[in-house]
Amino acid sequence: MKPFDPRLVREHPKARPAVLLLGGLGVLSGIATVVQVFAVARLVTRLVDGGGIAGPLSWALGAFAARAALSALTEWYAARAGAAVSTSLRAALLASWLRRGADERPERTTALTLATQGTSAVEPYVAKYLPTLVQAAVLPPLVVACMFAVDWVSGLIAVLTLPLLPFFAALIGATTRDETAKRWETLSRLSGHFLDVVRGLPTLVGYGRAEKQLSTIGTVSEKHRVATMRTLRLAFMSSAALELLATLSVAIVAVAVGLRLAHGHMELLPGLTAILLAPEAYWPIRRVGAEFHNAADGAEALTTVLDELAATPPDHVDLAQLTPKSAPEGVSRDKSTSPEPGSVSVADVSYAYPGASGPALEGFSADFTSGLTAVTGPSGAGKTTLLDLIAGLRVPSTGTVSRPSGRVHLVTQTPFIAAASVADNLRLGDGRDATDDQLWAALDRVGLRELVASRPERLGMPLGDGGFGLSAGQRARLALARAILADPDVLLLDEPTAHLDPASAGLAHDIIRELAADRTVIAVTHRSELVDAADAVVTVPARKAVTA
Amino acid sequence: MSTPATQGSPAQPTPRRGAATTEGGTRHTPALRHRGLTFRGPLRLAGLLGGLALACGVALTATSGWLIVQASSRPPVLSLLVAIVAVRTFGIARPLFRYWERLRSHDAALAELAAARVDTYRRLIPLTPARLGRRARSDVLSAAVKDLDDEVEAQVRVVVPLVASLFAGLVAIAYAASVHLPAAAAITALVLLLAGIVWLLARLEDSSQREGLEARAQAHRVAALVTTNAHELQAIGAGGDTDVWLDQAHERVRRAASRQGLIRALAAALMLVCIAGATAGIALLVEPSVGTTLSRPVAALLLLIPLALGEITAPLPEAMGALARSRAAAARLQGLVTQEPAVAQASAPDRSFAQLGTNARGERAQLGENAGGGTRQLAESALREGSPDPSFAHLGTNAPGGVPRLELRGVSAGWVPGRTDIGPIDLVIEPGDHVALVGPNGAGKSTLLAVLARHLDPSGGAYLIDGEPADARPLEVTRAAYAIVDDEPHLFTSTVRENLRLARPEASDAEIEQALDAAGLRAWRTHLRAGLETMLGEGNTGVSGGERARIAIARALLSQRPVLLLDEPVAHLDHPTAEAVLADLFAASAGRTVVMVSHREEGTQYCGRIVPIGGRLEEAGPSADGGGR
Repeated sequence: MKPFDPRLVREHPKARPAVLLLGGLGVLSGIATVVQVFAVARLVTRLVDGGGIAGPLSWALGAFAARAALSALTEWYAARAGAAVSTSLRAALLASWLRRGADERPERTTALTLATQGTSAVEPYVAKYLPTLVQAAVLPPLVVACMFAVDWVSGLIAVLTLPLLPFFAALIGATTRDETAKRWETLSRLSGHFLDVVRGLPTLVGYGRAEKQLSTIGTVSEKHRVATMRTLRLAFMSSAALELLATLSVAIVAVAVGLRLAHGHMELLPGLTAILLAPEAYWPIRRVGAEFHNAADGAEALTTVLDELAATPPDHVDLAQLTPKSAPEGVSRDKSTSPEPGSVSVADVSYAYPGASGPALEGFSADFTSGLTAVTGPSGAGKTTLLDLIAGLRVPSTGTVSRPSGRVHLVTQTPFIAAASVADNLRLGDGRDATDDQLWAALDRVGLRELVASRPERLGMPLGDGGFGLSAGQRARLALARAILADPDVLLLDEPTAHLDPASAGLAHDIIRELAADRTVIAVTHRSELVDAADAVVTVPARKAVTA
Repeated sequence: MSTPATQGSPAQPTPRRGAATTEGGTRHTPALRHRGLTFRGPLRLAGLLGGLALACGVALTATSGWLIVQASSRPPVLSLLVAIVAVRTFGIARPLFRYWERLRSHDAALAELAAARVDTYRRLIPLTPARLGRRARSDVLSAAVKDLDDEVEAQVRVVVPLVASLFAGLVAIAYAASVHLPAAAAITALVLLLAGIVWLLARLEDSSQREGLEARAQAHRVAALVTTNAHELQAIGAGGDTDVWLDQAHERVRRAASRQGLIRALAAALMLVCIAGATAGIALLVEPSVGTTLSRPVAALLLLIPLALGEITAPLPEAMGALARSRAAAARLQGLVTQEPAVAQASAPDRSFAQLGTNARGERAQLGENAGGGTRQLAESALREGSPDPSFAHLGTNAPGGVPRLELRGVSAGWVPGRTDIGPIDLVIEPGDHVALVGPNGAGKSTLLAVLARHLDPSGGAYLIDGEPADARPLEVTRAAYAIVDDEPHLFTSTVRENLRLARPEASDAEIEQALDAAGLRAWRTHLRAGLETMLGEGNTGVSGGERARIAIARALLSQRPVLLLDEPVAHLDHPTAEAVLADLFAASAGRTVVMVSHREEGTQYCGRIVPIGGRLEEAGPSADGGGR
């Protein structure tokens, strides 16, 4: 793990002002700290040796005020910057995933973690760790320079002892690394145990095994305590060693100053200034170590997010048509080979899922012309994959897919229905500019008008997650209404009526037929009624090598 | 476009009957104390040690100042010796005390955590599953684990710095009082002011953190929604349409962070201003007496005390953040665990707890030696837990002979006390019936299944098992007849064998393999790297959704329980996989009673009876789910 990943600034422009401003504030508060030390030293000297304290006191108060203002500014701005950077990283990450094909996105759980906790962990990294890092970079050199100016002997001692801190930290880290790594697995297993049995509580209760776990939890938590304390002891010991080292270094400065003072070789003011300055050189370095420890999650998440953002696969799918603003143009689209406008042709296409033992679809060819084409075939033959390929959501391993340059709309097996209003759900996708009248017309066509009109919220009728509160048939019809609003040139349907009772299915089939009147509709289905209603039928053969 | 409503969030636990949702929990269960911030034996020692460390820090700064000023008056070097030794002692003692304090406080917190985990787990058992929210129970449970960690962590991060700072402050006041009363007054004022700022901050942090947490949770929900549905969104060309939701959620996060930052910034600045004021005050108060009643070095010492106090109180704002976090976590946890169980006669015989408690303590002594012991043993012991429970042995094996007849007479039920989600319903399930409960999402199918499973007591009507009122039979006996498969089956971090045997501990390997085969996992099983010894879990990598559902079904079959209750077992599977899984399931469950809840058509062809539930959307709206707030 790097203390600071410069890619954050280089590749993520929104982070630039944050890092720059935090750096600037760090320099300013470093200066204020040094001024404060000088003023306090003079104040003490005046106090004990006589002379007006008003002058140094006002300087000290001024420096304090400046420090207070600067630290408040830093704290506030750092919190804002943390939120700004972490939210913009998340937005960039999601936008990047939505531009990529299905195979170029990370695996589901990884993606989920990264999009939620991962990007959130960047927040404390920016808000807490970066300011400390800036301080550690600014304050020690500034302070040492002042020490040289005030008393070169003290400056020399600081220059000689300061590097010892990182040196010893690295040394301790290196000697304990193996030990820590060895324990890490045990430790994470131990700490994961409780989460595991708690998450599995419904299962354990179901089989009457829950109370058996109580003593195990006690035992494992106890083991966890012992193992954690072993690791912590090591960590605390090394931090105590570093603190002792810093204290001893300051003591050396103090002894050198004290002896010269006692022998009359030095004035009180420079001596006191040097002694008060010395700790300011050491603590930022120790603190950055501690903060880095706390921000380790964030640093790691940041590296992963930046890697993920940088990973634009060379042959990534062009999903330009899927983003609302850009003009439609695509790599997997070839107008010249289209036999007639609006038709889709698939030539000798094969596709294998990443990591799968065999291809999901192999050497498949078919032409789909205007009107309704039903796609049938046994389970696992690759019908859904075929639709993904036609929609451009996946890139074929071999072969070509050509489709018209207009809109393609794919109704997946489980259409996306957000916990939002009916109107919001209908306006997702290419129907985003539809007027209320158009929404009503679409609802009318799929037979949902009455249902929505009967609600006091009308088009604002709220839906639950995944269409909660709607029956399977209503959800399917809502998805069809959205397809109508999108008005695509090619409409792809994946088992549109599989979950429906015969009556709902009949209505949905009628709508599909109507939609097929003026466009290419390709429907994967097991329903014989829909196959019978189709203008053409394409069968995807079973895979030769059947895998488990 | 509005932000997706919060009703889609992981379900909130239902509030307790008639009690305040947060702090008042102890009223119900006086024996279980509200943990929160405690200040007991080991922690008191840690606080004291931390205070000594901080006092050493203050003394170090102050005596160094004294020493230098004294040295500048060129006294005999010998006369400085005491002070030199003192400075050295403070310098060495500070890291040592701090080291000791950290060991003690972390050890105390971890011991507290161990006890709290057992306690929380015990309290969750009777609430499982009905009071853990209706969906995404594993999320609710994960959150509870995290909350427990946060709550206990506060011991180290809040109590110790607070106690230590207070101690150091009192030492400073006491010393100053012995040399110069006006200066002591100034330092006292400083300590009081700092304490006031910290107290105020703690108040403000409560609300600003709640705001921040809610904002971040909402952003996480939107991000998770987009991430899990990226494919579906692309499919309908809605790639950029969710930006609005994310922007709204992010705007809230930024506002909350800014507000929280502002509060902390003001606190930090105010604390510095107080220190500046105290420094100035002491300078002015001390000046007249320097050289007369007060020696020069002591004057220097007094002047440096506020600065030193400033250094030690700097981490307190952070600690107040941890305090607010811990309080919020504790309140959430209390809200969860102090709910009323959804069934009368909870399955928690007190006798066994007494035993378990002593066990846990008795084993503590030996643990030191084998703490690092193999992870494998741990994983196995986690589930195996010795011999089969005798009380379940006879139930499990006798069961197939005695398939019960289930009857609901005018049953109505609701998840939240006082509200009726379903009913009244009449339903008779004869032994060996295969019944499908169908209807729209939110119509009450799962509620009905929960009543049958005795997870939820009916609010009206009667539930009869073999003609006998269900609540007249011991809960464990009734439940031992049911095997439940839901849509989020959990795989434990353990071997395949232990993951299955938890359903029937005395099952042999041959029986386990038979159950796996019957659940359609024969090919999967034969490809396992280490056979039944293969480890599962750890995010269940390498196990597909279909395989997970099948493992849960294999568990249910292995259990030999006569009644299978299926709660949307294939909800997350695609159509062909769902069909295949259910075909295997019904083929393997001849002779048993099967009640399946589904909002899809799959599997209903295997059911002799299809019972439609609800269906009126007015009643089945999202808010009727008990999930919303």
